[in-house]
Amino acid sequence: MPGIALLALLGVVALGLALTATVREGTGHDGGSAGTSTVGRPAPPLAGHTLAGEPFDLAAQHGRVVLVNLFASWCGPCRDELPLLAAAQRRWSDRGLRVVGVDVRDSPEAVRVLLAETGSTELTVLPDPAGATAVDWGARGVPETFLVDRDGRVTQRVAGPVTAGWLDQRLAPLLAP
Amino acid sequence: MTPRRALVGAVTSIGAVTSRPRALTGAATARRFAAGLALAVLLLAAAAGLWRSARTESHTDPARRLAAELRCPACQGESVADSRSPIAAAMRDAIGGQFAQGRSPEQVRAYLVERYGPEVLAAPPARGPGLLLWAAPALALLAGAVPPAVRAARRARPVAGGTTADGATAAGTTAACATADGTTSAGARPAPERPGTGAGSSVRAGRSGASGRVWYAAAACLLVLVGGVAVARPYLPGRAGTGAATEPVAGRTGDPVADRLVLARSMEEQGRYDAAAEIYRDVLEQRPADEVRLRLAFTLIRSGEVDRAERLAAEVLAGRPDAPDALLMLGLARRAGGRRDAEEPLRRFLVLAPEHPAAPEVRRLLG
Repeated sequence: MPGIALLALLGVVALGLALTATVREGTGHDGGSAGTSTVGRPAPPLAGHTLAGEPFDLAAQHGRVVLVNLFASWCGPCRDELPLLAAAQRRWSDRGLRVVGVDVRDSPEAVRVLLAETGSTELTVLPDPAGATAVDWGARGVPETFLVDRDGRVTQRVAGPVTAGWLDQRLAPLLAP
Repeated sequence: MTPRRALVGAVTSIGAVTSRPRALTGAATARRFAAGLALAVLLLAAAAGLWRSARTESHTDPARRLAAELRCPACQGESVADSRSPIAAAMRDAIGGQFAQGRSPEQVRAYLVERYGPEVLAAPPARGPGLLLWAAPALALLAGAVPPAVRAARRARPVAGGTTADGATAAGTTAACATADGTTSAGARPAPERPGTGAGSSVRAGRSGASGRVWYAAAACLLVLVGGVAVARPYLPGRAGTGAATEPVAGRTGDPVADRLVLARSMEEQGRYDAAAEIYRDVLEQRPADEVRLRLAFTLIRSGEVDRAERLAAEVLAGRPDAPDALLMLGLARRAGGRRDAEEPLRRFLVLAPEHPAAPEVRRLLG
């Protein structure tokens, strides 16, 4: 009888392993963090009028490093992250950094209040009222951050708020002349 | 395949449970009856579940149908159609927008797979190892049907040497092993129906106990396995198949103005008229078209800015005095502002476009 139990156990484990392999292969990606389908490719289009009413086009930013941050006023972690991004913009703008916030499914009034409260009014913010830009960039939620290098390619992507350490490690090398 | 097989399996089980030729004690009969009843209830619940999921899938709106096939990337186990997360709402809008531009479901699916990877598809591909996932339920059903079938076959045969009850117990044990070997989900079943329980000898009791332990061990293994995979999956380092399975597709529709118009409509549908009006104004700067002016006018009427709506309609009428839509907007704007001169443009609208979709409503308004 222990033999049968062992056999049963082995059978279950074998099938389970096969299924696990399937799940890993068939559905790709490491579940928790963002997928990588955009990394290494040219950045999706990003154009429109900023919250301040000025035209913006990512395609016209060649030669600059662009940090694209998807955020919204209804997202708590975004609120904590914004001052860091504003500081990065101030610190590295003369080395060719442009921080662009994409305000996902939000109202202009709410985001203006958020920017004022977090001291981030100088950030370039593109409204994305229907979230079309977020989908175009393959975002899984907010906040999500993409780094676009001087050649217009997405080199980094992080789901969830970025940290000062991450900016130093991932963003600073791109800014090296 | 599933409903029919489930039905066959269940019927076999009920047959095995209820139609025993042997005389039984009252307690055993009651137990069998309860088991049969429980099975019938489960079967009904399964049928109801199947019917419900089949009903949602056969939704007529192709955008909704596609959204139901996609996994919400920000949620656990929810489809894009059902999730209330903002990203799922954005994906629904994107799907609706692309359909409105005449793209096929395959194109839209490819667009999303390119951005979210193949895991955005709720159904695993029915090829390669993915086939195993599809086969698992069928195997489970088959395994569930085997023990009662084997037992019924044994019972039907005259047994030489030893009692029938012994033979049936042995059959139950064999079937249990086969089941536990063959598939996982059959393990969810508790110990198999043990024939002759209550009247068994010590030997029989020992064998039944062992087979029961096999079942419990298998069930426990299964639970540990499923739980383990569920917990460990986010930490699995696998990146196989990243982007490789997707075919290159044209990214956007190539017409940002059309995209934005669709988005504005979506905003309108959600009652977010201010956001919609903002998009229309933005679009008007790039493409000053009458159609956009009138959409903006309609949005402004609904958000209460009737004066600006009237001005827009008048602008359109200045170029095309007989444009029915402009007359409609002018009339509606004036009417919303409580003006007496609202009737005139609305009546002209009815004369010019009696077949317009809005005509019946306008007739009702005019009384």
